[in-house]
Amino acid sequence: MKKSSAIFFTTLSLALFVSGCKDTLEPKPIDILTDDVVLNEPADVPNVEIGLYSAFRTVAPATVIAGDATADLLINNGTFTQYQELGTKQITSANASVSTLWSALYETIYVANFILERLPNVDGVPTALRNQVMGEAHFVRGYCYFILAYSFGAVPLVTTTSIETNRNIGRTDREEILDFALADYTAALGQMPAKPTSTAFAGEYALQSALARFHLYRENWADAETYATNVINSKQYSLDTLFSYVVTKDFPAESILEGAYTLTDDPGTDGNIGLNNIFVSRRELIPSNPAVVALASDESGDRFSSIRFSADNLKGNDNGWSVAKFGTADQDNNNVMFFRLGEIYLIRAEARAQQNNVTGDNSAQTDINVLRKRAKAPTISAVTKTQMMQIIENERLYELAFEGHRWFDLVRTGRASAVMSAFSTNWQDKYEVWPVPQREIQNNPALVGNQNPGY
Amino acid sequence: MLRFLPGLLFILLSSFTFAQGVLVKGRVASATEPNGLPGVNVVVKGTSVGTITDINGEYSLEAPLGSVLAFSFVGYVTQEFTFNGQTAVNITLAEESTELTEVIVTGYSSVQKRDITGVVSSIKGDAVRDQSINGIDQALQGQAPGVQVVQSSGTPGGGVAVRIRGSTSINASNRPLYIIDGVPIQVGALSQRDFGGQDDNALALINPGDVESYQILSDASAKAMYGSRAANGVVIITTKRGKQKKAAITFDVQRGMVDIVKKLDLLNSTQLLELQREAVRNAGKNPDGLGLIPGVTDAVNTNWQDAVLRTGIMQQYQMSASGGDDVTTYYISGSYRDEEGVQLNNRFQRLAGVLNLDRKLSSKLSIGTNLNLSHTVNKRIKGDNFLDGVYSGAVKSLPYYTPYDENGRIVGPSSSLYPGFPNFNPVGQALLPRFDALTTKLLGNVNARYQISNELFLRAQAGIDYNEVLEDQYESTQTAIGGVLESVGGKGYGVYSTTNLGSFIVNATLNYNKAIGDKHHFSGLLGTEMIRQTSRTSSVQGRIFPSDDFTYIGSAGIVDQGSSFKAQNGLFSVFGEVKYDYLDRYLLTAGMRADGSSRFGPGNRFGYFPSVSAGWRISEEGFFKESSVSNVINDLKLRSSFGFTGNERIGNFQFLGTWAASTYNGSAGVSPQKVGNPDLKWEATREVNVGFDLAMLENRIQVTANAYYNKTTDMLYNRPYPTTTGFAGQTDNIAEMRNKGLELGITSVNIDKRLKWTTTVNLSKNMNKILFLADSIPVYTGYQANGVDGTNVLQVGQPIGTFTGLRFLGVDPGTGDAIYDDVNKDGKITNADAVVIGNAQPKLIGGITNKLSYGRFDLSVFFQFSLGNKILNFSKETFVNAGQDIQNNQSVAALRRWQKPGDITDVPRYELGNTFNNLHSSRFLEDGSYLRLKNVSIGYNLPSRVTDRLKMERVRIFAAATNLWTYTKYTGADPEVSTLDGSTTAQGIDFFTLPQVRTLSVGLNATLK
Repeated sequence: MKKSSAIFFTTLSLALFVSGCKDTLEPKPIDILTDDVVLNEPADVPNVEIGLYSAFRTVAPATVIAGDATADLLINNGTFTQYQELGTKQITSANASVSTLWSALYETIYVANFILERLPNVDGVPTALRNQVMGEAHFVRGYCYFILAYSFGAVPLVTTTSIETNRNIGRTDREEILDFALADYTAALGQMPAKPTSTAFAGEYALQSALARFHLYRENWADAETYATNVINSKQYSLDTLFSYVVTKDFPAESILEGAYTLTDDPGTDGNIGLNNIFVSRRELIPSNPAVVALASDESGDRFSSIRFSADNLKGNDNGWSVAKFGTADQDNNNVMFFRLGEIYLIRAEARAQQNNVTGDNSAQTDINVLRKRAKAPTISAVTKTQMMQIIENERLYELAFEGHRWFDLVRTGRASAVMSAFSTNWQDKYEVWPVPQREIQNNPALVGNQNPGY
Repeated sequence: MLRFLPGLLFILLSSFTFAQGVLVKGRVASATEPNGLPGVNVVVKGTSVGTITDINGEYSLEAPLGSVLAFSFVGYVTQEFTFNGQTAVNITLAEESTELTEVIVTGYSSVQKRDITGVVSSIKGDAVRDQSINGIDQALQGQAPGVQVVQSSGTPGGGVAVRIRGSTSINASNRPLYIIDGVPIQVGALSQRDFGGQDDNALALINPGDVESYQILSDASAKAMYGSRAANGVVIITTKRGKQKKAAITFDVQRGMVDIVKKLDLLNSTQLLELQREAVRNAGKNPDGLGLIPGVTDAVNTNWQDAVLRTGIMQQYQMSASGGDDVTTYYISGSYRDEEGVQLNNRFQRLAGVLNLDRKLSSKLSIGTNLNLSHTVNKRIKGDNFLDGVYSGAVKSLPYYTPYDENGRIVGPSSSLYPGFPNFNPVGQALLPRFDALTTKLLGNVNARYQISNELFLRAQAGIDYNEVLEDQYESTQTAIGGVLESVGGKGYGVYSTTNLGSFIVNATLNYNKAIGDKHHFSGLLGTEMIRQTSRTSSVQGRIFPSDDFTYIGSAGIVDQGSSFKAQNGLFSVFGEVKYDYLDRYLLTAGMRADGSSRFGPGNRFGYFPSVSAGWRISEEGFFKESSVSNVINDLKLRSSFGFTGNERIGNFQFLGTWAASTYNGSAGVSPQKVGNPDLKWEATREVNVGFDLAMLENRIQVTANAYYNKTTDMLYNRPYPTTTGFAGQTDNIAEMRNKGLELGITSVNIDKRLKWTTTVNLSKNMNKILFLADSIPVYTGYQANGVDGTNVLQVGQPIGTFTGLRFLGVDPGTGDAIYDDVNKDGKITNADAVVIGNAQPKLIGGITNKLSYGRFDLSVFFQFSLGNKILNFSKETFVNAGQDIQNNQSVAALRRWQKPGDITDVPRYELGNTFNNLHSSRFLEDGSYLRLKNVSIGYNLPSRVTDRLKMERVRIFAAATNLWTYTKYTGADPEVSTLDGSTTAQGIDFFTLPQVRTLSVGLNATLK
């Protein structure tokens, strides 16, 4: 009896162990997919497409911080060092906003590269879907390089998903980066639907808007005008009767592409990309006094609704004003705009003015007045080209404030030094590009000793 | 056959003589049990005839004339008596005076202390009985060499960092492996929500009062049987079990007051206003324009520390019953602890019950169970790196505001008196939210032992450690999250989450013991084990509540975040050990464990962890015994060990490149999660130890000394990648590190008369150094700080816990600006000028315990110290911020600021918005050395005439105090501090961390008659 119980014990435990061993050591991964199965069959394509947009949308808020806090529209009002550095123009390469933008861009590029590498090899994907997603990947990658070139100058040109290659990759000239971005845009032409399911997704006219902006920045005025006109004439987008829709609503009628957030994936308290948190809850960044004065002017009109005031906030360094453009998830106002029709009119106005089509029918003046009328602001009359350039600069401030344009505009028009030196005694010309994040230099041998000048 | 004949004859003879036995009676007593010691084994030597003493210590049996009676009992010296027909044989057993024969449980087997060849420190549960400790990890503090214990803060039930022989890892956990009655238990925080460095602690679920002993296994040999999980040391905890004696019912009661050890010296309203006005003027602005108006702004002067802190009440009660007979023993205990934190509304309550049962089913088969059930209710408080924390908020808040309005209502966002971001009302932050964490732990095992033969037995065990946490939270509309931060809450914010962490363990071991003649002793162990851990979590959040009368998510207007998840991992192992000794003189142990872990890829799944150790008891050698040294030295043993241990505590599926679910615009898809690393493998630590154990002067002085050199290779760490790869990093084996050190433990019985005085000293010195980092690039860790890459750095040649920053050279007497060392001489102060400015590793740590007893009085005094460690007083970057902002109160140190040319000071000029003067530098680094009277207790045993009248066996009353006195140069509130729960790479940082508490208590231990 006792011997048999010992044998029973031993056998039982042995059986238990051997059978349990495989289960114990090789549990099935839960709620994750491995690299090799994530994009293998047609059904995987929409999932990875969502992944592309999920990464891409973070570029939008990071660009807002870059475009407005580096310039003169926002000042710091909180405890985060990154915003103190931006607000007081003491930007360092350790700045978290700087690394947030950089990594948002390259993480998006990784997904785009993944799609561009793998999707052509997936059998059975309907042509329209394949073209669309390939087009989206090209468009998104092109946009990322465009922002990289204008935020950081020369940057690593990453075109594969190879970790080994991309860990040790030097900087490529800005011109080459921009050529690459244009090639991506060109590759996407005609691939995406003219009318995507929603403006949370890119379509043909989001791409043409990007091309219009690209050629504006590159001063290819005629091309900029052509693409802008294509978008306007598509009749897919219309200016909302009230400007305040742009401020308070997701997907206004003029939306061309926006980074979409819903209740479940709102960045909430994220200190780097949660714009409502940064602008409304914590008020880490608040409108600067010049921005308030400009937006409160007659010429700005209804666009004054981009900011709001509360006397409760008025104390110490705080002027009491807040950015109003980014609401909470439940207010249906947490999307961040990539392109909207208002900007397209401004692009065309500037392109026309630069081509000396300043006033008269189908001129810069008509485009500006479209926006003025909508904002219930006084229309402009005949002006010189020089005056028009100043009007456009101001109009871009009124219309696009806190949408991430100001810094890029001032730099590309050569106005940064003049405007910014008047705004802050700490301004230096090195701030026309951001530093390469210190972390990147530390971890990428090819970047060592290759920081932007002055940082 | 012939050589067995004498034995057979002897057995026959004894059976024969037994028949002719004579009745013998008597009573067995001891010094502490003068009225009779129950459960003592009484046997007629050489026979199977025997009995045990009854509850009065009395026995009776029949024994032949001339036979030898042996009286034995655990913890007492066995006494023999030659029976010559006396009618009564009364015996007084002496307690074992030496610790050498003490049986030490070293995991799957046990060994006498004198035969140990590894490094094992032993702490008796009773040694820390009077200390009002909350969890079992605190019991290790200062009690054993090589063990560093830092309580993260004064929060009850909060995190405790325990390091045995330093940190062996930089990414994987550095917490020791805790085994309670054979079951590995969950360590660290159990709850889901981050409370800003104020974590909860799984070890606070075990009542220290139920612990019989702690064994700390420090070297490779002692830890060999734990292989892949042993690199950080192993703490074996044995709970109390019944003994073969009459039932003993004991009561323990303790009650006291809890206070913070020290408050910070901060500015009052008038001082702060003056400072802020100066800062604004220095920035070329008009202070009146910013609303900083004397007589108006400083009309209110609130001391926020006083407003949120209180004296808490600590109380604990325990009742236990234990006893047994020769077949069944039991221990049953129930306890309750209730500790109010020093922060308003912070409270920790624990109910714990233990049932330990052992039964012999036959002479060969015995079974047992340990069952430990506990439940805690933790009313938590946010802190540290949280703007809306309570203590952290209180020390930062401007004194210009008031916690209560004129009607006595808490000032909230709807009041015009509310300070708003970033100074929320810390009193409201304490009183209004509901942060209840309800944790239930079921820890238990069933085990069976079958004696196959005299030499061989099989032991099998199945156990479970199951933890369930419910987090029930609501932040009202009058709090920061619920009322101010619309991006999270807005109109009330509720969270409800559950966490289930279960680990299941089953093992079987064969133990073999064999003596060949008198000289050779062999023992062996062969075992196999399987451990599975499963965790399931869920969480749901709701926002926009109708009013603060509705606080559960069913009433929320928006329920927008919900999640659930499951994770699992497993370990499958085979292990074995062989021990041999020759005449107790030459000792040899060899062991090996093979572990397979689900956390590694197919090619690297199994790890092998061998070890060998040897001991030489010189005191058993003839030459030693003959020499005169043996008159002084009673026992001397040299030891040495060498072996490998490992660390597998990293996340699951790190070897796979994976994509996780994501959403966009209401659609679900997948996003890259991490990049795979099929080559990921075990972190291995190679450990060498040499040491000696010495007992001298009739065992009155015992010394244990060890020197060790441990090298960890293939260290697991998140290797940082440039994000051009699309990823921030990858878990990889990227570093090598060594720990070397010395440990010394001395116990000395200074006086052993009516006055008994014992001193225990233990000292440890550990030197840690990173030997190699892949890519040879420094890895920045810790907190983000002004103008540098991180507060801490991992760098070749430096220990972990190294602080980095600019080198602060002083304040320019001409301009009042900070001067930093321009290390690279490029004319600019940038993050490239950051250098190593110190480290958190102490040069020496230790504890000194003096125990005195005189008659009925006993006194215990325990000092603890740490020498040579640096603390990053990161709070100073806010408290002495040189005017970077004017939203935080300042320390009195700001009164020393530079004000006019010629001022010689160490505090720079205050200028609003100036970040340069507040860059992260050695200005914030301080010496963290301290000497602390950690615990003192005094007790008195009531005389028997009193106890008799009370029908008590024994009654002891005592008074105890913790953290009574501290000597330090550290200017923060408390040098014994570590935010982030002592996170490995960012230890020794004070970041608005709640200081330790001082507890004054009185108590009573009583045993029922």
